[in-house]
Amino acid sequence: MSKFFGKTSIVARHEFLKTIRRKEFIFMTFAFPLLIAGVAIIPSLLASTASAEDQRVGYIDMTGSFDFPSSSTREGFSVGSLEANPSTIEFVKYEESSEAREALQSGQISSYLIVPADFLETGVIELYAFEKEMSVPGGELSAELSNIAIDSLLKDRVDEPVLQRVKNPINLKLYNIGDNGESSEQGIAEVLSNFGLPFITAFILFFSIFSASGYLLRGLAEEKENRIMEVLLSSAAPIELLSGKIIGLGAVGLLQVVIWLSVIVLGSRYAFPVKIEPMLLFLALTYFLLGFLLFASMMAGIGAVTGSLQESQQVAGIFTFAAAFPLGFMQLILTKPDSPLAIFLSLFPFTSPASMLFRIGVSEVPFYQIAASLFILFVSVHAVIVISSRLFRVYLLMYGKRPGVKEILISIREAGR
Amino acid sequence: MHALEFEGVSKSFAEKNVIRDISFSVEKGEIFGLLGPNGAGKTTLIRLLLDIIKPDSGEIRVLGGPLTPVSKDRLGYLPEERGLYRKTKLLDMLIYLAQLKNVPKKEAKENAEALLKSLELYEHRGKRVEELSKGMQQKVQFLSSIIHGPELIILDEPFSGLDPVSTKTVKAKIIEYRNEGRTVILSTHMMEQAQKLCDRILMINKGQRVLYGTVAGIRKEHGKNSLLVEFADKGSLSTIREIPGIRKITEHEGSVEVFPEEGISAHSVLQELTRRAEILRFEQMFPSLNDIFIETVEGASGE
Repeated sequence: MSKFFGKTSIVARHEFLKTIRRKEFIFMTFAFPLLIAGVAIIPSLLASTASAEDQRVGYIDMTGSFDFPSSSTREGFSVGSLEANPSTIEFVKYEESSEAREALQSGQISSYLIVPADFLETGVIELYAFEKEMSVPGGELSAELSNIAIDSLLKDRVDEPVLQRVKNPINLKLYNIGDNGESSEQGIAEVLSNFGLPFITAFILFFSIFSASGYLLRGLAEEKENRIMEVLLSSAAPIELLSGKIIGLGAVGLLQVVIWLSVIVLGSRYAFPVKIEPMLLFLALTYFLLGFLLFASMMAGIGAVTGSLQESQQVAGIFTFAAAFPLGFMQLILTKPDSPLAIFLSLFPFTSPASMLFRIGVSEVPFYQIAASLFILFVSVHAVIVISSRLFRVYLLMYGKRPGVKEILISIREAGR
Repeated sequence: MHALEFEGVSKSFAEKNVIRDISFSVEKGEIFGLLGPNGAGKTTLIRLLLDIIKPDSGEIRVLGGPLTPVSKDRLGYLPEERGLYRKTKLLDMLIYLAQLKNVPKKEAKENAEALLKSLELYEHRGKRVEELSKGMQQKVQFLSSIIHGPELIILDEPFSGLDPVSTKTVKAKIIEYRNEGRTVILSTHMMEQAQKLCDRILMINKGQRVLYGTVAGIRKEHGKNSLLVEFADKGSLSTIREIPGIRKITEHEGSVEVFPEEGISAHSVLQELTRRAEILRFEQMFPSLNDIFIETVEGASGE
């Protein structure tokens, strides 16, 4: 048996070293975190640079009851911006619309408002500005005007607390009831750390399957195309080659995951805290490994049967879609983690790694379900490896014609003899 | 103990018989030729012996028994359609292929370096395979099949694509291996090479054994009773055409081959020749393997 592992480990080491030297691997591993970081940081950078400038807005109050402040300072609210960007709107009073228009044309103000006499009945305020020069966002100004209107209408008629409630009626807070009956306020940090790891792991699983199985397919296609496969098969058994490749590329995938996770953990100090529980991390890694094995050995079988790289990538795409499938049901799993569909998805081997991690993230999953899903996954991995190695043996040296589904099924059965 | 034995082996793919009831054996320490036209089943035969595919019936014994992982390590194989890892460095690739034959890494490196030196490739050891010329790649491929010092070496068309100098080097290596007591199986179309190198041959056509035995024996058996004659004067050729009892005359460089008619002995023709022209040299001709090959294959397709 030591010989068996001997050759498997030689193949695994070779595949590992060969792959991590590939330019694609180095690019994918290091460019991917940069890409993610870029996606997270660039919009907020753009948003902060494009924050609103100070404005002068003219107004004509026909009701005579509006109490415009001379200026209004707003906290610049842009997602992820590191520092608040206050912008000031200065209000300038005009008596006639012709004066305001002249001021607009001469550039003294950027826009002007008319509060019609029948404002109380209609609620209409008119905003005039040059075409394509609406530099004050309508929504922002509208909120500002609402507050001014509420102030003007209700000031001195109701108490200050009532005035505040009218401006900002409710403020919903979420509480979790824990097992011990104590309630705790659910903060944004906790939500992120609960969903964070399962979600990130599912995401990483998806990408790692993508890249590592891509290497597997490409490696097989190359070996098949340049016929070195024949030399390899004269030296090692198909199962040794297959398991060696999968272990080697699994190690590559794991290395990639470790790099990505460390980037995320390091990066999270700046962005948001990810609390990582050891048990959850262990489960995440177990699901990751088993899920990877399942897909990788399937890719190997596909690579053996299909004739060209292009063809095998097409077929492989279908299975990659299966890996991404639970991402589409995320909403359902997050809101109803104990529904029959969610349970099914977390037991079904193709979808279980990502789905189960989602469920663990949002609810208490009974231990027997985790055990069952791991068991099913494990058995499936074994079955797929056996089938793939049979296909490996039959089709690896066949070139040109791709066998039909029926032929493949027959050869799976026959190779078992 | 034979190096290789086939006993009544048959194999068919999708109801097409590729190998039909073939039996032969290869002795230890000989160069054994595996000959046949394209599609005769040579490559299938080799894959059967390497246990890449399984026979439908019959028995194959390699180095005294069925092929095991241990005996696999004692085989070297150069496939007809070659390939190497294009992006891998020469030395790394050779070490990997040797390690797959259970040669320890250190020893694999030493073997690889020694062989690269002997084939004048040592200075290229750090290059990627794709940087080498085609001829060098061919030599590297040959080298990769002998890196682990196998007892039985199977070479499928080892000379295809080689220039004359490399052919000579590879040929010398093959003979060197045979002289060390190793066994070489040579599958080729090149009858001239086979005739010069092989001790014994098996010729197959349409999956069936058509010739089997020592090269000398087969040539004698297929002797056409012809004479190779060299004349002092080239003009003599026209005079011998008038000699009765000659079926055919073919011209070679500086000599002619004379085929007597059926029932007329070479000896009587020779007597007639000496009377009419001055003869420098004559010898009784055996057909070349090439002639036998063509005759056998054409005879079979004419059936």
